Amino acid sequence: MKKRHLLFVVLGILVLAWPLVLHGVFIQHVAALLVLAAISASAWNIVGGYGGQVSIGHAMFFGAGAYGALAAYTDFGWPPVAGVPLGIIAALLIAVLVGLPTFRLQGHYFSMATIAAVELLRILLSNVSVLGASVGLMGPARPRGLADLSFRSPVPYYYLFLAVLALLLVVTAWMERSRLGFYLRAIRGGERGARSLGVPVVRTKLIALMISAGFTALAGGLYALMVGFIDPESGFGLLISVKMVIIAALGGAGTLWGPLVGAAILIPLEESTNALFGGSGTGATYVVYGAIIVLISRFLPGGIAELVQLLSVKARRRAA
Amino acid sequence: MLLEAQGIVKLFGGFRAVDGADLSLNRGEIVGLIGPNGAGKSTFFNCLAGDLRPNAGRIVFDGHDLTLATPEAHARRGLARTWQVPVVFAEMAVRDNVMVGAFLRHPQARAARRKADEVLEFTGLAAQADAPAGSLGTLGRKRLEIARALATEPSLLLLDEALAGLNATETQVAIDLVRGIHARGVTLIIVEHVMSVILSLAQRAVVFNQGHVIAAGAPQAVIEDEAVIEAYLGKRFRRPVP
Repeated sequence: MKKRHLLFVVLGILVLAWPLVLHGVFIQHVAALLVLAAISASAWNIVGGYGGQVSIGHAMFFGAGAYGALAAYTDFGWPPVAGVPLGIIAALLIAVLVGLPTFRLQGHYFSMATIAAVELLRILLSNVSVLGASVGLMGPARPRGLADLSFRSPVPYYYLFLAVLALLLVVTAWMERSRLGFYLRAIRGGERGARSLGVPVVRTKLIALMISAGFTALAGGLYALMVGFIDPESGFGLLISVKMVIIAALGGAGTLWGPLVGAAILIPLEESTNALFGGSGTGATYVVYGAIIVLISRFLPGGIAELVQLLSVKARRRAA
Repeated sequence: MLLEAQGIVKLFGGFRAVDGADLSLNRGEIVGLIGPNGAGKSTFFNCLAGDLRPNAGRIVFDGHDLTLATPEAHARRGLARTWQVPVVFAEMAVRDNVMVGAFLRHPQARAARRKADEVLEFTGLAAQADAPAGSLGTLGRKRLEIARALATEPSLLLLDEALAGLNATETQVAIDLVRGIHARGVTLIIVEHVMSVILSLAQRAVVFNQGHVIAAGAPQAVIEDEAVIEAYLGKRFRRPVP
């Protein structure tokens, strides 16, 4: 146990202090994106991992958050950060409207319904002119003041994202030990058995989806703050949803650290393939995602968390 | 009267799986539900537990009408069940499975854990508490289902063939467990094929055939009833006298 604590302290110091040493903008940018992806994937993990409700439509919450931030600027002239709560409220509304009817579906049917919902929203949005229609929305080109949270360097964003990620991990860790976490895992284990033990299935799923949607929207808002641009594809696109699922599944869905591990592997990989082959989020990225999906589902359905568990069990057996 | 079911009818398409069955139950009883395969006892049982909604009839449990209530409402009222084919949460630890049940009356994790450990001790699963439920065999899974149901602190427990597929030694252990549950003040309905189990456990047996209750009473008397023998074996074949 002592050794493990030491490992966490060293990792913590590394995570907090490396930008003071390394000054390359590319690596700083990748690090900020990595933490952001870890936030989305951890948020997805609450309902998709612990609850086993594999949503492939979480971009609807991400997009809502991002649009909330930039619509507040474009339409009202507020600093984007003031629009983030609006985006979160919109995401919570969407969660209830989409969750209540789709939670009656199970397994792949639920996943397909979430895809349909997010695509519908994307197409609707492409026709709403106050939200920029298919052109999208821009943030302030030049910061009007500190409240715009517009920085040249990715480092301030990195620390901001890190704080949000820490909050989300605390919420998830609390949930894991609470009744909500047990009920979610029971629902994943089988709804019939869960209901016979008095688990209110729909209410539990809905609460989990709302927590999940709120944090995903927050991630979307933070993305909009940093990038300063959002359009239907980068907010509500299918790849945004798929990315959350892959990151969580790669690291280990339904575990606290899985999405972080997944993000730490996938985001640098994605950014390097983008840099090597050109294009952003097209071509090579899809190939990488496809390969990861195939490999995980064939060899390691529990993700890297399962691998670590298998190895530690083996090591303990060898020691015994 | 703890449970009163009257005129229960359950249709599957045009097939009347349960056709006007009645059952009433006093607190503290052990009632055996028996009958040949396809007699409708499992369907009736599922209607009682809220997993199937009867097409007609009325079910009153502990003063509340539960005829059309959801399974989770049944659990809240104190009516728990196990499944013929166990539906444990395979990826969760044995203790965590039981905690899911315990959370119904103990919303705080620490209290739920205490309750779960007490039930695990009682059901003889304490040694496997940290193992994943998926690693248990059939016997262990059936036992875990009973433990989970007990953790919801029911006043009535419905056991659906909890003893099927066990060997003689295991059956004896299970019978002792059921007696222990009864001694804790839990009323029980057991669906069972093995007649010896009904004979040694039940104070009253209710026999189903073709969706109807054809006999009810003391187990020993019931199994000697002509109609019951006929339902199981067909009409007595009279050997021609030479």
